[in-house]
Parts: sequence; C-alpha cells; structure tokens
Amino acid sequence: MTRVMDIICVFRIQLAGTRREVGPFLLAAFVFPAAMYLFANGIAGVEAASEASRLRFLAGSIVFSLSLTSISWLGYLLLENRFTGRLKLFATLPLAPSSYIFGVLLFAIAQAGVSTTTLLLIGRALGVPISPNFPLLILVILLTILCLCGLGVVIAARARSFSQGSLLTDTLGAGLIFLAPVYYTPAAIPPVIRVFAQLLPTTFAARAVRITLTGGHAIGTDLLVLSLMALGTLALGFRLMRWRED
Amino acid sequence: MTATVESLSPNTVQRRSALPTSEVAVRICDLVKTYGDGTEANRGISLEVRRGEIVAVVGPNGAGKTTFLRQLTTELRPTRGSVTVFAVDAVAEPGRAKRSMGITPQEAGLFERLTVREHFELFARLKRLSRKESLVAAQQVIQDLGLGPETNKKVGALSGGQRRRILIGLSLLGRPPLLVLDEPTTGLDPSSRRDVWRLIRRAVDQGSTVILSTHYMEEAERLSDRIGVIAKGKLIAFGTLDELLSNLERSYRLSYRNPTDKLSETQVLYFASFAEVRHHIHRALLTEYSTGRASLEDVFFELSGEPFDKDETEAAG
Repeated sequence: MTRVMDIICVFRIQLAGTRREVGPFLLAAFVFPAAMYLFANGIAGVEAASEASRLRFLAGSIVFSLSLTSISWLGYLLLENRFTGRLKLFATLPLAPSSYIFGVLLFAIAQAGVSTTTLLLIGRALGVPISPNFPLLILVILLTILCLCGLGVVIAARARSFSQGSLLTDTLGAGLIFLAPVYYTPAAIPPVIRVFAQLLPTTFAARAVRITLTGGHAIGTDLLVLSLMALGTLALGFRLMRWRED
Repeated sequence: MTATVESLSPNTVQRRSALPTSEVAVRICDLVKTYGDGTEANRGISLEVRRGEIVAVVGPNGAGKTTFLRQLTTELRPTRGSVTVFAVDAVAEPGRAKRSMGITPQEAGLFERLTVREHFELFARLKRLSRKESLVAAQQVIQDLGLGPETNKKVGALSGGQRRRILIGLSLLGRPPLLVLDEPTTGLDPSSRRDVWRLIRRAVDQGSTVILSTHYMEEAERLSDRIGVIAKGKLIAFGTLDELLSNLERSYRLSYRNPTDKLSETQVLYFASFAEVRHHIHRALLTEYSTGRASLEDVFFELSGEPFDKDETEAAG
C-alpha cells in the first residue's frame, strides 16, 4: 500500500510539474503522429485508398505516438530530473527507485491514453474501418509502453550528459518507428535489415495494434514477445536506476 | 557535553566508544572511500554523534566533507567501514536508515513549475505523512522558513536563497530524528543564514540530532556542539570548540602590520598567554594590531599545517 501511495505521489509531482504545458504536451503526443498519418496517406497516393493501408497508417501512428511518449518524452523527463538534480531530492527520501520509475511511467501511460484515444477518434472521423477489441488493444498499448519506457529508463540512467541522453532518446524514439515495418510492409524493407527490423518491439506492437483495431485477437505471439521485452528492458532499467552510487 | 576525543594529532584522531548505544545517534567506524580513479576521498574516518547534539564537519573545498556526508546518507557506498544510524546499519539497509533522516544535499534541483506549497505537501506525503499531517507540516515549515508570502508562487520565480531555504525545509518535514545538511547556508545572505541557524536550533530543541558540513568557520563555532575537522580525507580533530582550542599550545593570536611599511602583509603570531602577547607588542613597538583567542581557523592551520582558504572564511554574519 505504501508503495502504491509513493507511485501516485511521484505521478502527482510529475503531473503538477507539467500541467501548465498542456500545449507542447499534446503536440508531442498527438499532433506529430496525426501529421504522420496524413503524410503517409499523402505519399501512398492511390494505395492510400485501400482500407488495409489506411489501417496500417493509423496503427503505425498510434505506435509512433507511444514511442514518442515512452522513449523521447519520458526519457527527456528522466534525463531532466537526473541532470537538474531533482533525482537527488527523491534519493533523499525513503522511496524505492522502482516506485519513482513507476510513478513516471504512470504519467507516460496517462499521456498515451490521451493520444491513442484522440488518434482513434481522428481515424474514425477520416473513415478508417476500425472496430477495436478494446481490452486487447489496451493490453497491447500497456505492454508497448512498458517495453519502450524500459528503454527510456536505461538511456536516462546511463547517459553521461543531458544532450547525449536526449540525442539518444530522440534517435531511438524515431528510429524504432522508421526502421520497423510500422508504416510500410516488411517487403518494403531492404533484405539486409529485414530480419533485424522484424525483431524490433515496434514491429510486434504495430502488428498487434493493427489486428486489435479490426476486432481481431490472434496476437498471442506478439503479446508474449512484448511481455518478454518489457520484462527485460524494465529489469535492466531498474537495475541501472539506483539511488546509491558505487 | 563530554568529549570523546582522546588525543589529537595532525594525522589521526584515536578514540573509543564510551557511550551506550541508546545515546548514540550515529556511529561511524573506519570509513574509507576510494573512487575508481584511485582518489582517496575519505581515509578512515571514525566518530560518534550523540542524540540531540549538533556536529559540524568543517574543512576546505575538496577536503572530503561531502563524500563523508554522502556515505552517511547512503547516497554513496563506502569502500570500507560502517555507518550506523539509530542502530540501523545504513550500508546494509539504506532505505530503513533513511526513514530516520532529513537530508539537504549540497546541490539538488526543485520543480520549477510547482509552487512552494506543492513542494512541501507532496514531499511530505513521500515521507509517509498522512494527507492531513502533510498539510499541517507544509504550513508549519513554510511559516518557519519565512516563506509565507511565497506560498503559492512557482519555485521558478524565487531567488536562489529562497530555493535553498525550500531545500532545507524539505529535510525538516516530518521532524526526522536526524538532520544531515550539506552546506545548508551556502549562498544565503547573513540574515537568512541566521534564520536557518534558528531553525536548526529549534529542530534540536524538538529532539533532532544534526550533522552538517560547512566551510564557514564562524558557523561551526556558533552553531555546533562539537566540530569535526576534515583535511585531505582524514578527520584530524573532533571535539568541542574549547577542546579543540585547548589543544593548541599557543592559543592567543596577534595580527599586525609592519609599522614602517604600510603596504606590508598582515603578520600573524601565536602565543601561549595574553601576557606574552602584551610583551611582544611592547617589545616590537606595535601601534596597529589586533589580538584575540585563536579560532577554529587557527586550529585547522595548527593541525594541518595549511592555511584555511581565505575565500572560504568569509564572515558568516
């Protein structure tokens, strides 16, 4: 119970710290992915008319939004806390590092909830054929966030400077989207990197989101892989994010 | 107030534990910190702090004060040695040890967009205070720190001194039995510094024990019950001010300038008695001079053989 209270409290601190930045907050989480959806439709040309393509673009934009939220934005937040000395404030308290991470992660989940909902509404308004399997979609989104947040935590814990860290989170946040078959099919990826691309967490996330958006549920493998990846990255993040230095 | 220092020497302070555990707030034994590059920041520091006393750790920048406090607050793992806080092994159980501590780090950042009140209320919750207790504690600390008019201001709009006071206030939340303050008054104006001293004294009156580091000698002299002098990673002296001064063979100080050369540097001489000082003044026909008891700064010079950095001894107000 104490741990839950700690997590909620860290979440409230982050929320209070950003509540006056609603504009950039939404811009980061929604406008960019929504623009990417329109951009993908635009350059797809005739192909964009197909329902499958529009569905892929919408799923891709949702995963893009999750990537931005979980790696770029959350990573930035963690880096800012670390390199401005705020992390020291938390370290002076009888607070477990994992509670701090989960508090920040809760904040990322809330942000992802807002951006995903908005993208779904936009998709529906633009005539994308969706009938989401909501329980499974929510599960996929949660696992994707956990997995990508773990990467953000690892970068934030290991970066030697703020600029190095933010460069890495930005690169990874965008790279995981554009190197993986998120906006396009695996066949469009050069054979040399195809195998690598298909192992990225965003590949599994995009496929699972696409299937659940049409009401499907055959995502067992994707869920399993995302779960394992989330466990792995978070375990590494928890291990690296410590209050005590050696 | 009883001293536990058995002997003082430039290199070591040998002492024994004479206190029952129930009276000891902090016990540190043979604390050693060697960094990866081989730097020996702390070299075998041992001391005991009794419940309810204020201990100041003094020394010039780079002496090892902050490393010492960071190990005490569990932020840094010692290379060797033990730290016990209210009978809890702080090296093995850092989380449990921190429950009895209020810590002000030397440098920590606040949340620019949170108000003063939000800082205190939210961090009080993280110190396990109930919602009601948090509100009361926040109100009390804001009042004690003289930050009433700033209660609802965002921290980003406050001055450096006000932010420093907030950091100190965060450590006071929940009235922890041990306060560890790393250079709490650095950057504060003399008036604010005196306010902080009053706060620290009040915390002690309410039952807290305080360990603080400072490079203001006057602060250590005026505020603390006992003083630990650290130089080059070693605790070279530990005791009350009187004890430290009594270990000086010549504890009277005479400062003067060459009467025939107004541009000459100030000369400082030490004497065993005031009579000797007067004798020297008459013999040297000094007309412009000042005399007084030796200070902590002189103790540092006597023990370490090095002058304390002038820049660091600015008046503490």
